Amino acid sequence: MNDWLQPALAQLAQSPVCGYLQNQAAATEPSVIAALALAGHGMGEAAAPVLDYLAAAQQADGSVGVREKEPTPGWPTSLAVIAWQHFDATKHKSRIDKGLAWITTMHGKSLERSAEMGHNTLLDGWPWAEGTHSWLEPTAFHLLAYRAVGQPSHTRAKEAIKLLIDRQLPSGGCNYGNTVVLGQTLRPHVQSTGIAMLALAGENDPSGRLEKSLTWLAWSLNARTTATSLSWALLGLSAHGREVANADELLAAAAKRVGEHDKSPHKFALLALAAAGAQAGFIRGAGPSPQPSPRSTEERE
Amino acid sequence: MKEQQEPFSNVPRMSLPNVSRRTLLVGGGLAAAGVVLTYQVQEMLKGRGSVFIAKNQRYDGPLEQTIRDGFLACGLDPLQIKGKKILLKPNMVEPSRDCPHMTTHPAIILAAAEVFRAWGGIVSVGEGPGHVRDTEMALVESGVADALDSLQLPFSDLNYEEVVWTPNRGRASKLKGFFFPRSVAEADLVVSLPKMKTHHWVGVTAAMKNLYGTIPGIKYGWPKNVLHHNGIPETVFDINASLPKTIALVDGIDCMEGDGPIMGTKKPMGLIVIGTNPTAVDATVCRLMDVNPRQVPYLNLAADRLGPLDSRLIDQRGEQWKPLASPFQVLDKPHLRSLVRHRGVLVS
Repeated sequence: MNDWLQPALAQLAQSPVCGYLQNQAAATEPSVIAALALAGHGMGEAAAPVLDYLAAAQQADGSVGVREKEPTPGWPTSLAVIAWQHFDATKHKSRIDKGLAWITTMHGKSLERSAEMGHNTLLDGWPWAEGTHSWLEPTAFHLLAYRAVGQPSHTRAKEAIKLLIDRQLPSGGCNYGNTVVLGQTLRPHVQSTGIAMLALAGENDPSGRLEKSLTWLAWSLNARTTATSLSWALLGLSAHGREVANADELLAAAAKRVGEHDKSPHKFALLALAAAGAQAGFIRGAGPSPQPSPRSTEERE
Repeated sequence: MKEQQEPFSNVPRMSLPNVSRRTLLVGGGLAAAGVVLTYQVQEMLKGRGSVFIAKNQRYDGPLEQTIRDGFLACGLDPLQIKGKKILLKPNMVEPSRDCPHMTTHPAIILAAAEVFRAWGGIVSVGEGPGHVRDTEMALVESGVADALDSLQLPFSDLNYEEVVWTPNRGRASKLKGFFFPRSVAEADLVVSLPKMKTHHWVGVTAAMKNLYGTIPGIKYGWPKNVLHHNGIPETVFDINASLPKTIALVDGIDCMEGDGPIMGTKKPMGLIVIGTNPTAVDATVCRLMDVNPRQVPYLNLAADRLGPLDSRLIDQRGEQWKPLASPFQVLDKPHLRSLVRHRGVLVS
C-alpha cells in the first residue's frame, strides 16, 4: 500500500530544498513541508539544507518570502518559524524571534462590516500579501507558528482562533475565507478545511461549527481526492484524533496520480507528511524533535 | 505589496512588443506577434474589431470546425501560428462537479488545442485558479484533467510557476507592474477561453476578466486580493493592457446567470464567440446577455483604448448578435442596476 512512500522520501532526502513543481526554483513552503516530512519519518538529518535555505531567505525585517530571491510576500514566514522551532529552537532562537516580530506586526486589512459579507471583517488575522484582507490559510499557518513556539495564548493567536471559527461555513467546512457573499452561502473546500482544522486542534467551539467541519471533512474524502487536499485533510483530522480508516489507500491513490502527472515534490512531501500521522511536525504534541544535523547551517548573525 | 521597494528587482523582466503606446493598446501586440492578417491590423489601428458568433453549438458537436471558422473570419493568419507557443487559458476559478456551468467545458479546450495544433502551434494549457490552492483538484473537478490526458496536453500551474515582472502598461490602478508566470510571459499568443457568466461585483465576466487567472496566487493570494484592493475594473484593464498578445474564444454554450461567477444558475445559450480583440468580444458578449457594455466598469475603461465597444465599430462575423440576445438574470444590487437599466425591469 505504501510502495510510493520510500521512493518519495528518498527523493526528498536527496533534494529537500524543492519547488512546487518539478525542475523549478526552490520555494519556501514545499521545502519546509519536505523537511517536516523527512523528520516525521526519522530522516530529519536530511533536512539540513532546508535550514540553510531558510537562513539565506530570511530578510532583515525577519520575514521569509515565497522563494529565496523573492522576499515578498512574506506569508511563508510562519512556516519558516515552525521549521526552525521543530529542528532546533535553541540554535535558531534569533531567527525565530525575528520571524515572530515580523509576524506580530503583520496584519490583514480589516474592512467595515457589511451586509454583503457574512464573515466578521473586523477580526484580525493575516493576509497573503501586505495591504490586503485576512484570509483563512495564512491565518491558520501563523496560528500554527504561535502554537509551535508555545505561545497559543498570544493575543494574535487568540484572535486568529476566533477568525478561523468565524470563517467556518454554517453547514461545516470552509473555503479560502469567505462564508456568505451577497446573501449566498459559498461552497467548502477540502484543503482549506484541513488546514483550518489543523490550526484549531484542541479548541472548543460551543457553536458546533468546528464539529460540523470535522464531519464534513471526513465525509468528503474519497479515492479521487487530490494530493494536497487529501494531505491537509488527513493532518487536520489527525490533529483532532480522527483517524481515517482507509488513509493509506487514499494516499497511495493520490501519490499514483502525482507520479503519473506533474511529479511535484511539494505534493510528494505533503503526502509523506500526512503519512507520518501523529509524527507530523505540524501536529501539536508530535514526537520529539530530531537531533540537529551536523550539516545544519550555523547561525549567520 | 511592497511595490515601493521594487519587489520585482530579483525576478526577470518581460519585454513587451516594441510598439508605441497607441498601437500597443489597439492591437499592436498582436501585430507584433505577427498572427493577424494585414487587413485586420489596419482595422485594429482604425479602432475596429471583428467578432464571430456561432449558434446551435453543443459540447459534442463539431467544435473544431466552428473554432477554425471563427478565428479565420476574424483575421487570424494560420500560416503564422506554426512554431508559435500558444497558451490556452480556460476559466477554472473554483471548479465543482456540482456546477459544471461555472468553468470552461473541457470539450472547448480540446477543440481549441486541436485547431492550433493543426496550424502548427505548440499548444499548452495554463490556469491559476482564483479561489483554490489545490490546482490538481481544480483540474479533476472540472474534468479538464482527463481532457489534458486524452491529448497529452501540457499544463502550466500559473499560481506556482516562476515569475517575471512587467510594468503596468494600463496604469488605471496604482500597481507599478505585474508578476506573470513564465509560460504566460513566454507565450507568443494567449487564448482566453472564458465561460460566459454574470459577475456579482462587476456585472459580466468573459475574455478580459478571465485573465485574472494569469496572475500567480503565490504572489497575489487566494483570492487574488491585491488586485481587488487596487480596484477590480482598474486591474482587469491593466492586466489586459499589459498582455497585448491575447485573443478570445468564449464558451457560451452552457452559461451562468444570476449570482456568478461561482454561485449562479445555468443558462443554456448554445453559443461560441470568437475574436482577436478581447474588448470587442466582451462587448458583444454583453449584448448577447442584454447587458449594457458601457456600464461594465472595466469595459468602459477599455473602450477605444484596448478595443471598441460601439457596435458600429465591431464587424460581426457568423451570426448577428441581436436575434441571439437573451436577458441574463443580474442580481438586484445597487452596484449592478445600471447594467440592465435599459430593460426597465429588474430581476433578483
